[in-house]
Amino acid sequence: MNLLEIRNIEKSFGDLKVLRDISLSVDQTEVISILGPSGSGKSTLLRCMTMLENVDSGSISYCGEQAVTSSGGFPVYASKNQLKKIKSYFGLVFQNFNLFPHYSVMKNITDAPIHIQKRPKNEIYEETGILLKKMGLEDKGDYYPYQLSGGQQQRVAIARALAMKPKMLFFDEPTSALDPELTAEILKVLRSLADEKMTMIIVTHEIDFARSISDRVVFMDGGLIVEQGSPAEVIDNPKNERTKAFLKKMSVNS
Amino acid sequence: MNLKKILSPYVIVLVLMACICSAIAFTVCFADDNGRTFTVGFDAEFPPYGYKDESGEYVGFDLDLAKEVCDRKGWTLKKQPIDWNSKDMELKTGAIDCIWNGFTMNGREDKYTWSTPYVDNSQVVIVKKDSNINDLTALAGKIVAVQSDSSALAAFTGEDAEEKNKKLAASFAELQQVGDYNSAFLNLESGAIDAVCMDIGVANYEIASRGGQFVMLDEHISSEEYGIGFLLGNTELRDDVQKTLLEILGDGTFIQIAEKWGLESSVCLSEEDFHKDNVNIDKGQSFFEKFISVSGQLAEGLAASLAIFLLTLLFSMPLGLLITAGRMSKFTPLRWIVKIYISIVRGTPLMLQLLVVFFGPYFVFGINTPASYRFYAVIIGFTLNYAAYFAEIYRSGIQAVPKGQYEACEILGYSRGQCFFKIVFPQMVKNIIPSVTNEVITLVKDTSLAFAISYTEMFTLAKQVAAAETTIMPLFIAGIFYYIFNFIVAFIMEYIEKKLSYFR
Repeated sequence: MNLLEIRNIEKSFGDLKVLRDISLSVDQTEVISILGPSGSGKSTLLRCMTMLENVDSGSISYCGEQAVTSSGGFPVYASKNQLKKIKSYFGLVFQNFNLFPHYSVMKNITDAPIHIQKRPKNEIYEETGILLKKMGLEDKGDYYPYQLSGGQQQRVAIARALAMKPKMLFFDEPTSALDPELTAEILKVLRSLADEKMTMIIVTHEIDFARSISDRVVFMDGGLIVEQGSPAEVIDNPKNERTKAFLKKMSVNS
Repeated sequence: MNLKKILSPYVIVLVLMACICSAIAFTVCFADDNGRTFTVGFDAEFPPYGYKDESGEYVGFDLDLAKEVCDRKGWTLKKQPIDWNSKDMELKTGAIDCIWNGFTMNGREDKYTWSTPYVDNSQVVIVKKDSNINDLTALAGKIVAVQSDSSALAAFTGEDAEEKNKKLAASFAELQQVGDYNSAFLNLESGAIDAVCMDIGVANYEIASRGGQFVMLDEHISSEEYGIGFLLGNTELRDDVQKTLLEILGDGTFIQIAEKWGLESSVCLSEEDFHKDNVNIDKGQSFFEKFISVSGQLAEGLAASLAIFLLTLLFSMPLGLLITAGRMSKFTPLRWIVKIYISIVRGTPLMLQLLVVFFGPYFVFGINTPASYRFYAVIIGFTLNYAAYFAEIYRSGIQAVPKGQYEACEILGYSRGQCFFKIVFPQMVKNIIPSVTNEVITLVKDTSLAFAISYTEMFTLAKQVAAAETTIMPLFIAGIFYYIFNFIVAFIMEYIEKKLSYFR
């Protein structure tokens, strides 16, 4: 059974069609990068998958549970409780982290597990200790977000998502708000997550990053999935003209 | 998810709270009905008829008479200082039972139910001793001051004014209206005006207590009579009071009281030798003693101002949050109602709003408000006003919280309520501290506007004391008190701001 199954998603903002008939299946433990030029719809796709944005039509299911189905051209979302359950299957690491500025690192990570999931506190604190250590932040528990560097904040955001014990993680442009030298640092974190068999979908426009981490690369343009396959197929031997053009442009830039 | 969605459940709470608040307010205000209280309305800046003495008591000839009447009738006397311009509304709403305060009958014969006149008075002109003005003709081309809505003003410009007085007034460079006699004398002393016209009784008092700097012209403008004014048609109460007053006259007590205030000449139509040694306010007190005594009197007013300040904050800050909820509701009619409310509150003077809250129940609904409503009206008026301002400040603070915070909440599974109170609210508080500080400091100073409905807070008191003691020192002391008050407020707000600087 696929962890995430998306069928025929459509999304428009006014007259602008942003997503056209997108379908995608994500297997357990798979690491997928979504590549594409800006305006290609990759961020909107991520927002639709995480239900921050409602789709116009199409269906989304997690672990075989329907989050949204289409009926007569209109989307029908699951009940509030059902959605709440489905949302607990995944986590999202935001492009600009969206840490809670008035909470310490520790509270940022533990607040939702304690008050939303209502799991035992000592268990959570123990897990958080391990998480912080893994992220190289073991001495930063009492810091506030503004006292941390961008890379550190990014790792707190990842820890916050992981503390909810999701089945899969979404990353929205995880490196775009960081200095280039920090990209390797984040890459290392993501790779260690991949080693632990975490299912991940990463929206990015960094080709090297996508190549080095992904099992599968999805290339989007104009609201369509233009091409998908292993990094070797899509990045090194693109078949589609638009993929080629994008890769060429990116290599000129970098 | 947007903010409007988050706030919509609170909208219902807003409406409910508003209903409950008004219900409670009305129950409390109209519950106590004490028929045996006789409330006398007077201008507390009108010595020797009614004013505030050094010890902070309301005293005067008229108040002594009223006290005597009440004692004999077994009533409880309530001395209610009023804003002279609101006297008719005070009377109509039943907030006071009568106006008893050197109240001139001439020209007002048909507007009130009057007692028989008990003082005859004349309008006289006071000038500086060293001025060249010796008679009325010398006033041509000069600036002459009268109190607004006073008999002196009526004598010059009223419908029944004598031709000679109209001509006289026309010869002035300007006929200036002043709020109270204390400022008139300050103006006269400084040369900003050349003469003041007023009742002879007041004139004698002022001349005596200001140490001979001023003199009275021999020629008089007009003569007039004082009576007790009751609500038109309220002959029952008038007859009751008048009967007792005649008793007081019959056994000689009336003359005794008149002598106590040096008014025996006025009650027998003579203005000669009016002044006795009884009105010497300045009993050789040193500046420091006076400072202490005035400060003591103002401290009472400060407590009243403090009460307005604290209660207004207590009610308006939470109410503002509810109003913000309504303002940001996705339910369009509610949003518009709140928008209109905010627009009206911000677009009209607070003073006017206080008058509406105080007199509204009578003029709109015909409800007679009890005396205690005055204070409630002040609190309700201030709360409604400040809640609107706070609501807009809150809204700006909420809108400054990035959308990403809401999205993070949603992804982590927080409910709308949890998201607002745990995540958005603390950030909003930090965002709005500077604006709230401004608003709170303004509130400290705005408490003085309670004078609009004659609630005696510090500034009103300062003006009364200033009039009684014929000095502007009380106003300066009040200023110092306001400044200290605000200094403390600013200090506290700074402390809170510092406390909140643990995050950015």
